[in-house]
Formats: sequence, C-alpha cells, structure tokens
Amino acid sequence: MSDSLRLSPAPVPASVESVPTELAVQIRDLNYYFGQGDLCKQVLYDINLDLPRGQIVIMTGPSGSGKTTLLTLIGALRTLQEGSLQVLQHELVGMNQRELVDVRRSIGFIFQAHNLFESLTAAQNVEMAVELMDDRRAKRQRAIAMLTDVGLAERADYKPKALSGGQKQRVAVARALVNQPTLILADEPTAALDKKSGRDVVTLMQILAKEKNCTILMVTHDNRILDMADRIINLVDGRLETDEEIDHSTDSTDSQNPKNLDRHMFMIR
Amino acid sequence: MRTPLAWFNLTYERRRLLTAIAGVSFAVLLMFMFKGFENALYDSQVQLLKVLNGDIIVVNRLKYTMFIPEQFARRRLYQAQAFEGVEAAYPLYTRDGAYWKNPDTKAVRPLRVLAFNPNDPVLNIPEVLAKQEGLKLPWTVIVDEKSRAEVGPRAAGIVTELAEQQIEVIGTYSMGTDFASANGNVIMSDQNFLRYFSDLGPEETERDLNTVDIGLVKIAPGADVNALVAAMRQRLPNDISIVTKAEFVDMELEYWRKNTSIGFVFTLLTTMSFAVGIILVYQILYTDVSEHWVEYATLKAIGYSNRYLLGVVMQQSLILTMLGFVPGYLIALVLYKAATNATGLLMNMTPGRALEILVATVSMCLISGAIAVRKVQAADPAEVFGS
Repeated sequence: MSDSLRLSPAPVPASVESVPTELAVQIRDLNYYFGQGDLCKQVLYDINLDLPRGQIVIMTGPSGSGKTTLLTLIGALRTLQEGSLQVLQHELVGMNQRELVDVRRSIGFIFQAHNLFESLTAAQNVEMAVELMDDRRAKRQRAIAMLTDVGLAERADYKPKALSGGQKQRVAVARALVNQPTLILADEPTAALDKKSGRDVVTLMQILAKEKNCTILMVTHDNRILDMADRIINLVDGRLETDEEIDHSTDSTDSQNPKNLDRHMFMIR
Repeated sequence: MRTPLAWFNLTYERRRLLTAIAGVSFAVLLMFMFKGFENALYDSQVQLLKVLNGDIIVVNRLKYTMFIPEQFARRRLYQAQAFEGVEAAYPLYTRDGAYWKNPDTKAVRPLRVLAFNPNDPVLNIPEVLAKQEGLKLPWTVIVDEKSRAEVGPRAAGIVTELAEQQIEVIGTYSMGTDFASANGNVIMSDQNFLRYFSDLGPEETERDLNTVDIGLVKIAPGADVNALVAAMRQRLPNDISIVTKAEFVDMELEYWRKNTSIGFVFTLLTTMSFAVGIILVYQILYTDVSEHWVEYATLKAIGYSNRYLLGVVMQQSLILTMLGFVPGYLIALVLYKAATNATGLLMNMTPGRALEILVATVSMCLISGAIAVRKVQAADPAEVFGS
C-alpha cells in the first residue's frame, strides 16, 4: 500500500477547514468520574471536542490518561450525567441503558483483540452484526461482500482457529463495517499485529471511511500508523493537551517547523 | 433465521459437550431411579390388594396396614351378607412369616400364606382359578412365581416343607412380592390352612377358620357401593373397618407414605438429584459465559441488548437439559427392567411418570439458567476496551 501524500502549496496550520455542517461527535464540558462517594475519582476534565464527518482522528497519550474511557463514553458504553456529549446527533448525557444500546448500533467498534466467536465461521461472525439490523434474508450476501472487501472471500467459511492473527482482525473489521456505520471507534487495532498486517488493516479502514464519509476515532500508540490520520489528539491526565490537524506528519506535530515547511514546498511528485 | 449462537457455543467442542450431556443424563437418571424405587415400593405393596375380588373390604379396625396380624370374627361377614345388594362375602386368611424350606438349599425362609375356600373366587388371577380342584387336595399349595429366589425352585411336583410339615407344589401363579410378604406368597385352601396352622405348639399363635384376616364383599351389579358402606358402618359393630376396595388400597398407600420413612427418604433423595442437576447445568452455563464473556460483552458493544444474551443463556440451558433427558430416560428404562428382575419389586415406567421427571428436568434448566444469566448481565461492554 503506498502512502497517500497530500500536497498543499503552503503548510496549513490548524485552521478551520470547510467542514460539513453536521458533526459526528460534539463534546462540551465533559467531566467523568469513576467510583462513588469516598472512592470517587475524576478521570476526564473539561473535555471539549468536535469531530466532523469523514475525519480520521488518532488519540494518543500515556496509559491511564483516560483515552479508553473517553472512547467508551463516545461509544455509548457508559452512562453519563454531566456535560454534553452528542454522537451522531444523539445527546448521550442522561440516556438510559436501552437508548444507549440503540445508539451503539450506528457505531462500528474495533478492539485490540478480535473477539470473534470461536464456534462461528468468519461469515457467521459478520452475520451477527448484520442480524442486528433485522436483515435476515440478505445477511449472507452482505457478510460475504464485506469479507471480500477486506480480502477474505476464500476464508469466509473458516472458523477463527483456522485464520491468522491478521486475518482475524480483518474479520473483526468486516464485522464492524458491514452495517456501514457513520462512526468507527477503534482501540489499539494494530497492537497485536505485525507491521504489514497492521498497516493493511488501517489502510482498509481509511479507504472504506473515505468512500462512505464516516468518522474514525482511533486510540493507538502505534507510531507506524500515525501518518494515516487527519488529526491527532493528545490526552494527558484526563485533559486534552494538544489537538492538531495534520496533512502529513511522521515525526513532528508542529506544522510551523521549518524542516516540514521545506519538504512540503520543494517536493515535486 | 437468526444465527443459533446458543447451539453453536454449546456444541462446537465435542468432548465438552459429551461430558456435559453425560452429567445431565446422570442427574436425570438419578431422579428416575429414586422416583422409580419409591413408586415401586408403593406399587408393590398394593399388588395383592388390587387383585382382591371384592367391592367392599372388611378388616379388623386395628389392621390399618397389611403388616398387622389382627383378625376379625367371621360372624361379621355373615352379618354383612344380610344387607340388601350384597351378593356374597368371602373370607381370606393370611399367615405372615410361615417357614418354607427351600427344596435345593434346605434353608428355611419366611413367606406369606394366603388361604381361602377354593370354591370362592377370592383372587382375580386366572392361574389360581384354574387350580381350584387341585387346591382341594390335602397338603397342596401353589406358589407365586414372582417370589424371591430364596424360595427356591417352584415348579409343579416339587415336594418340600412348610411350617415343618410336608407340602407339595401343584402349580404356580403370578402376583408379586411386597414388604409384608417377606420372601414370597403361596396360596392354599382353607382346609389346608387348618392342617398347617391350627395345631401348633404352645408358643405359636394358632389359627382357626372363625377368625378372618380380610373379608371381601361382592355387591350386585348396579348397587350403590358407597351407600352400602355407609349403611354397614352404621349397623355393624365398631370392631371392624368397612371400606371400599379403592379406599383400602389408599389406606395401605397412606400408611407407606406417612407412617414410614420411605416417603421422606425418597423425596429427599430425588430432591438431592434435582439439586445436583441444577448445579451441573449451572456449572456448564457459567463456564461458557466466563470463557466467552469478552465475546458476549463485544456483542453488547455492537448493540445487542441484555435481553438477547439472556435468551442465549436460557436457550443453552434448555438444549442441554433436553439432550441430557433422552439418554437418561432410555437408560432408566433398561435399569427399571433390571431392577424388577433383581428385587421382585414392580418398577414400572408410565407416561405419567416420565412426564413428571421431564417437568422436573425443565424446571432444573430454568432455575440454573436464571442463576447463570446474572453472570452474563454483568458483562460490561466498556470493560472490553481493556488497556
């Protein structure tokens, strides 16, 4: 897979691009606490964040900084009482369990572990996601189509134990994307994979995302894929420390860096 | 059709599935065996009672169970015969603990002797009626072929000893043993009864034909049996109990149910098997949920509701118990036959009894499923994002 270099005549600092009017995720004044009473511990402080449609965002930060917690909150996996968190036009704060479950169906989740059922074939694992949308009749076709997109058409009827690590993760990606969600949340999707498989998986997500204009929010420490993102967010101790929009960055996040400047200006492809 | 996740999760590991089914079948089999023995004991006690040819039974008031060797005066039967609607009254004499010598081993064992006038159709057994004339000969007897092996060979022509006097077997019939019959039953005429049991030494209780153990009253077709029973109770003295045959059978069953530990013991054993079954099924369900909780939590993250997962657990529970019931039932059938042959007790599988255990098995699965679902409810999708 080749890098897709985005060229621009001059470096563009973090500025407001023309984004579509609806945001995939909008967070305002979000505070989140674990535990109750004396054991109450705050893990997220005053989070304010806008994620437009179609953007690929990577969230980094040291362990324990709350990245995973923020991801689970955006994914409607936890209940919230304070602040405002709008996901795909749904206000999650104050929702009950049943409403949260409904919201989850529009979101695609990709985990570090593939979490596939050993007792089901790859196609059946993907069908589990299709069945959620009540599409019983076409479910196998849709599952096979999605598996073909991820390059696993011939392995569709194999059980996970007959698939490699990279293949299993691709099945998980197929499962997450088969219902064409508008928001994809990924937690360390490449951590268990080698460099090539990791890159393949993320490229796949990227292509599919661009085709369907869906937003990807990925938590990762993997330096090998940082260049795939449009934007990198840094979360430290529960606060958003930096939030940079990137056109193409492999090392420095500072787009004013003269080194970066020169490369952009003088590269001819 | 929805992907049958419950079925796949339960069956994809063959070895584990077989072990699970074996466990559940065993619990089912235990329930069948304990219930079977309990029913056998009850059924066996009333084998004799069921073949008594009488609509109304008369016994000494103290004789609330067959075990009690109390007789009543024969005079009472004549009095009962005087009632309108009564066709006939037959006396039946019994002797518990009569000593029979095994023709082969020469060991002496107690059994029960039933005696009556061969002309009276006292027992509803065709082989007995066939031997009417033979029983009138002195020193003769017919032996219940379902008596225990200790009684020894029992074919016609065998000569041995009863109560230390010679006796000849002239045939067999088929009835069945119970606790009161000790090792078996034999039938003789009332005259022979006197020959063996009326002239015994000073320590033995002697018998004569004026005291009757069980009186059988036949009523005319169309007569009201309950009215007659009520009338007899009113007019006849209080030293006897007058009951319909059905009541007599119930009375005997009640004794065994209430006055002995049998009911309690077997109910306890059956309940314990039930509990074992619950624990087994729960264990299997719990293991599945524990091992796959990440996958189940992932389903929750994808957007499956708790209710769906509860459904999966309950389905697994149901499938497991049904798969375990069938082998348990089949093995029970085989063991019932074997036990009947070995003990002489009547172990019977009826559809009603099979249904009883099936209901218990289904409850077993529902209960263990209900306990196991709590584990799957706790699967927190947010935890799948571990770091």
